[in-house]
Amino acid sequence: MDLVKINEHLWEIPKAGAMLVPGRIYASEKMIAEMGDDPAFAQVANVACLPGIVRYSLAMPDIHWGYGFPIGGVAAVDAHAGVISPGGVGYDINCGVRLAYTNLDLNFVKLRLARLIDTLFSKIPAGVGSQGAIPGLSFEDLKQVATDGAQWALHHGYATERDLSHTEEGGRLTGADPDLISQRAYQRGSRQLGTLGSGNHFLELSYVDQVYDSKVAESLGLSIGQVTVMIHSGSRGLGHQTCDDYLKLVASAMARYEINLPDRQLAAVPIESREGQSYLGAMAAAANFAWCNRQVMMHLAEQAFVEALSISPQELGFALVYDVCHNIAKFEEHFVDGRKQLLCVHRKGATRAFAPGHPALPEALRPLGQPVLVPGDMGRYSFVLVGCETAMHETFGSSCHGAGRVMSRARAKREARGRDLNAELTELGVSVRAYSRAGIAEEMPQAYKDAAEVVEVMEAAGVTRRVARLKPLAVIKG
Amino acid sequence: MGCEDMPSFREFEHTGDLGIEVVAASRGELFRCAAIGLASLLVEMNTVEANEDRSFVVTAETDADLMHDLLAELLYLFDPQGFIWRDASVKEGERSLRVTVRGELFDPARHVFRGEIKAITYHRLMVAKSPEGWRARMIFDI
Repeated sequence: MDLVKINEHLWEIPKAGAMLVPGRIYASEKMIAEMGDDPAFAQVANVACLPGIVRYSLAMPDIHWGYGFPIGGVAAVDAHAGVISPGGVGYDINCGVRLAYTNLDLNFVKLRLARLIDTLFSKIPAGVGSQGAIPGLSFEDLKQVATDGAQWALHHGYATERDLSHTEEGGRLTGADPDLISQRAYQRGSRQLGTLGSGNHFLELSYVDQVYDSKVAESLGLSIGQVTVMIHSGSRGLGHQTCDDYLKLVASAMARYEINLPDRQLAAVPIESREGQSYLGAMAAAANFAWCNRQVMMHLAEQAFVEALSISPQELGFALVYDVCHNIAKFEEHFVDGRKQLLCVHRKGATRAFAPGHPALPEALRPLGQPVLVPGDMGRYSFVLVGCETAMHETFGSSCHGAGRVMSRARAKREARGRDLNAELTELGVSVRAYSRAGIAEEMPQAYKDAAEVVEVMEAAGVTRRVARLKPLAVIKG
Repeated sequence: MGCEDMPSFREFEHTGDLGIEVVAASRGELFRCAAIGLASLLVEMNTVEANEDRSFVVTAETDADLMHDLLAELLYLFDPQGFIWRDASVKEGERSLRVTVRGELFDPARHVFRGEIKAITYHRLMVAKSPEGWRARMIFDI
């Protein structure tokens, strides 16, 4: 596909065929060259065909081939004339990341690392074959979780008010209708609240090794040498089944609304249609399950620290920096051609990155801009960024969500043959515990782009800027 | 052509998720190989015994939808029902499949779990007759 270079970090796919807007990809020249003829470019063009899309079909620099949308894809559609695409949100509704800091420093934890990671591993279930972190949840309980999100965790002793205020949307998306979630989806989620899942989901123990903006870092509670915990997970089987259920419903309704799209996985219906409204109610419910899931895991992690290190919760000082979702569709006001417009912003592997002063940010964070958490691969580093003003003008307040894969899982497994990845990671100072065999090979560091290059592109574009870098100490893979 | 040793079930390159291609001599065998292949992605097959049966029917308008619905139903059998299979039989109709899988309840103490599959996507989903017989390509979200 022919790309037009706009500047050093921005490329355009000109409008052609059924595209309603051009595609725009944030990437360096090196990244574009390395992607070759990656199908992700065609996916950016396909997304540009969604009825009601405004300005551009966007992709962040962690772009790679997904299903339907590219990973790293952002599409904003008019909230009245546009469509909603369940495949554009993805199966893992509200997959996201949270970061918590501790009062502990690297040297203290290093001496006790083996015991700590073993305790974390034993306390936080992956999912399959386990009873979940909270056994005995009824369907009514699950419906309440889907309604209340992380507030359910607060009411049941798994969260603090501060946790909720440092979670996107306060950990609860409004408009959730738990009756729009199928019985099958509830069954799939019934033993999965407080579980990690597998694939690229993880819990990572890391420490702050670089600070780029000491004032903002300090305001977020981060300083050099401090130990942190990052959790990456989503809505588990409940969300996966919800997406599957609504993809069928939406695909069967498309002909009625005379919508044709180049990829079946992009199936979409008008936002204001009965099917569109139903999906949005179910999506919000699944998103709420995901926020509660990550909150419960954070609580379990805190317990593991207290138990393994024989310290008090006060000495530990465990507190949430922020929680972001990166698979979601949200109603937000943005300026389009100089006029404020209500949009439905689909983010598929992309993070909201609101600029300082945005009213959606909690008071404590509003002067800083929204924290954006960007996990890298498990051998190198992750980043904490904050949203900047350009994001509001160019990317519908969105930034990257991770490093982005550069290698297929099949190739990663081939490359891992004959190598002792555990030993290689130990050499890098990272201990790994994995629930599944495929986990480590498929997620080897070389399977990912360098997260530093990804966040540098976003910074050069003025979308987000770096606050701190985190180096991994230990990783639990689902 | 059988699929016990899985030469007919292979991964193809997909950056974000898991691409799977299945080749079989007949349409019925294609669905059967896909069913067994899916189990082999979830759990190490040499740890699974065929002690119990589970049966179900899927109906759909196209072969691609039959493949999607068959595999989605099997995912549901594994999670949350906890059943893992090592063999399958498929009675095919034009728009339906009657499926029986043989296996046992998943036991984390005995079985080696390989990894979750979140869903069977529709992206580039394809089932077609080919020169070798029948061929399917699909992408699993993991």
